[in-house]
Amino acid sequence: MVQNYSTIEGTSKGYKILVVLLGVMVAVFIMSFLVAYLQGQQVWGVSNIIPWGQLITFYIYFIGLSAGAIIISSLSYVFKREIYEPIGRMAVFMGILLMVGAMLFVMVDLGRPEKAWRLFMYFYLNNMTSLFAINSIFYTGYITLMLVYLWLIFEGKKRLASIVGTVDVFWAVAVHMGTGAIFGLIGNREIYFSPIKPFEFLTAALTSGTSLIILTAVVTFKLTRRAFQDELIFSLGRLLASIIVILLVMVFTDKLTHLYFPNREATVYLFTGDYWWIFWIFQIGMGIALPLILLTHPRTKKTLRGVVCAAASVVIGVFGERAALVIPGTAHPQPFFPGRVEGPWGEPGIFPITPWETLLSLSIVFIVVLLFVLGLRYLEILPARAGETPSASPGTVGGAGP
Amino acid sequence: MSRWGMVIDLDKCVGCQACVVACKEENNVPHGSPEEQKSRREIYWHKMIAVTNGKYPNVRTEIIPMPCMQCDHPPCVTVCPAKATFKREDGIIVQYFRRCIGCKYCMVACPYGARSFNFKAQEAKAYHHQDEPPDRKSWAPWPFPVRTQGVVEKCTFCFHRIDRGLKEGRKIGTEVVPACVEACPSQARVFGDLDDPQSPVVQLLASRSSFRLREELATKPKVFYLSR
Repeated sequence: MVQNYSTIEGTSKGYKILVVLLGVMVAVFIMSFLVAYLQGQQVWGVSNIIPWGQLITFYIYFIGLSAGAIIISSLSYVFKREIYEPIGRMAVFMGILLMVGAMLFVMVDLGRPEKAWRLFMYFYLNNMTSLFAINSIFYTGYITLMLVYLWLIFEGKKRLASIVGTVDVFWAVAVHMGTGAIFGLIGNREIYFSPIKPFEFLTAALTSGTSLIILTAVVTFKLTRRAFQDELIFSLGRLLASIIVILLVMVFTDKLTHLYFPNREATVYLFTGDYWWIFWIFQIGMGIALPLILLTHPRTKKTLRGVVCAAASVVIGVFGERAALVIPGTAHPQPFFPGRVEGPWGEPGIFPITPWETLLSLSIVFIVVLLFVLGLRYLEILPARAGETPSASPGTVGGAGP
Repeated sequence: MSRWGMVIDLDKCVGCQACVVACKEENNVPHGSPEEQKSRREIYWHKMIAVTNGKYPNVRTEIIPMPCMQCDHPPCVTVCPAKATFKREDGIIVQYFRRCIGCKYCMVACPYGARSFNFKAQEAKAYHHQDEPPDRKSWAPWPFPVRTQGVVEKCTFCFHRIDRGLKEGRKIGTEVVPACVEACPSQARVFGDLDDPQSPVVQLLASRSSFRLREELATKPKVFYLSR
């Protein structure tokens, strides 16, 4: 069966309202960025103790979602599983948009964003032992590869697309493991320091990416009244369940390594300190336990609602997993000297949720949603509706739907 | 080439924090507001921590002055993506404002909390040493009469003093020392060349048992402490 794709008409009232509302978020983004840029990062929750806050959390989260989406897209374009074809284009498109979002997040987190070009002056003005500099190679290559991949898919060059797709999947693995290494190689922060961190990042990326694709597929297909086989979602659900089990093993190994030997202070802080709820409720509860129950329970795993709930829970839970790394990882005071450090230098840092930082983060999330919604209108991302005639050439960009 | 190092004798240190004040004065480090201190956004080049061991009545509190440790294997230099922080030939780790992009990776990687971020544009103050105007030709933005918002900064071992002293042919370690060493009323701090067998630093280290902070991380700090 040949899968046809089409754009959406974009003439309904709901769609227009959605685009306008999301467009307002662009203005919010510009405003909240300018406030932080002109007044300094004092308007955020970051401090000298917790230098990385919400934006870095969102940045690693979005890179994970992007890598996960690209790896899922390989099911249809590399492994040629026909059942996944309806979501193939969407997965690649989401991969690009999420990566663009991640780059926005990391860019606005810089103290001097206008100097970011220094990162790309390889070997000349930048320091190639820094994971940020190495990752900048990965990230630029990744975005380029994804664009070529999507273009080949639109052109209908399946053989080339599968080759580029294979390269892109390995590249996505490298991208996200490199992001994990940003944290995993930092030897003075106990919660960060772990050789398993890159692999844990990759597994978490797969769970969150798969879940986001389940959610987006169900929501867009329902809203645009497109038929889809429930089996597509169920099979993704089964895949999700097995990756969550791997993630559970990874998290368990990582935390056990840190807990077993007596230098466990930081991990005990993570489990019982100020941020215990991020770890236990979000990372473990919503990221692992709840979806695992929903996806293995004989009654819920066979219902669309059960799988979608599990996916939603993972999408929130993996965000908690990122937050449980970034914030408590630096909040725990470093043991400068044996004994109890008195006063502020011995107290864990506190990360307040501040309006400007939250607005900035959320507005970038909505910008990504806006780009996605516009993409559905102008690119042939979604499968054609039953009985709908596909547009003349399979690659028409900007064609006004039927 | 010399390798500058510092020895802090904890037995002599009285905990007056004159070093902290002298550092703030010499390098124009801004005094944070009470809100900034509370939210941990005050800039410190040199900080003082108090460490308690034991329980009342057998309790002992030690005062540890902590400048930047100027590590021989500095993690901050490894992680800096923009070559903004680098090791000079004499072993001093400096931060170059014009290159710093403000990613704060060095703050995450520093095991000693020696780095501070400029969370706002600091008030421009005239350099207080009016008799010795900063030599912009050779020091670029140092010492810091004006600082930039959005970059990371740290202790420099007062290298502007060292550089000027070397140019004028004065003896580093006795005639010319960093501001914190100069201000210490109990002479608990000694500064000098770690590679010179005649320097007071090397002789002190040979005479007493010394330690460095967080030696298990193998960063090889050039700030040594003589225990009490």
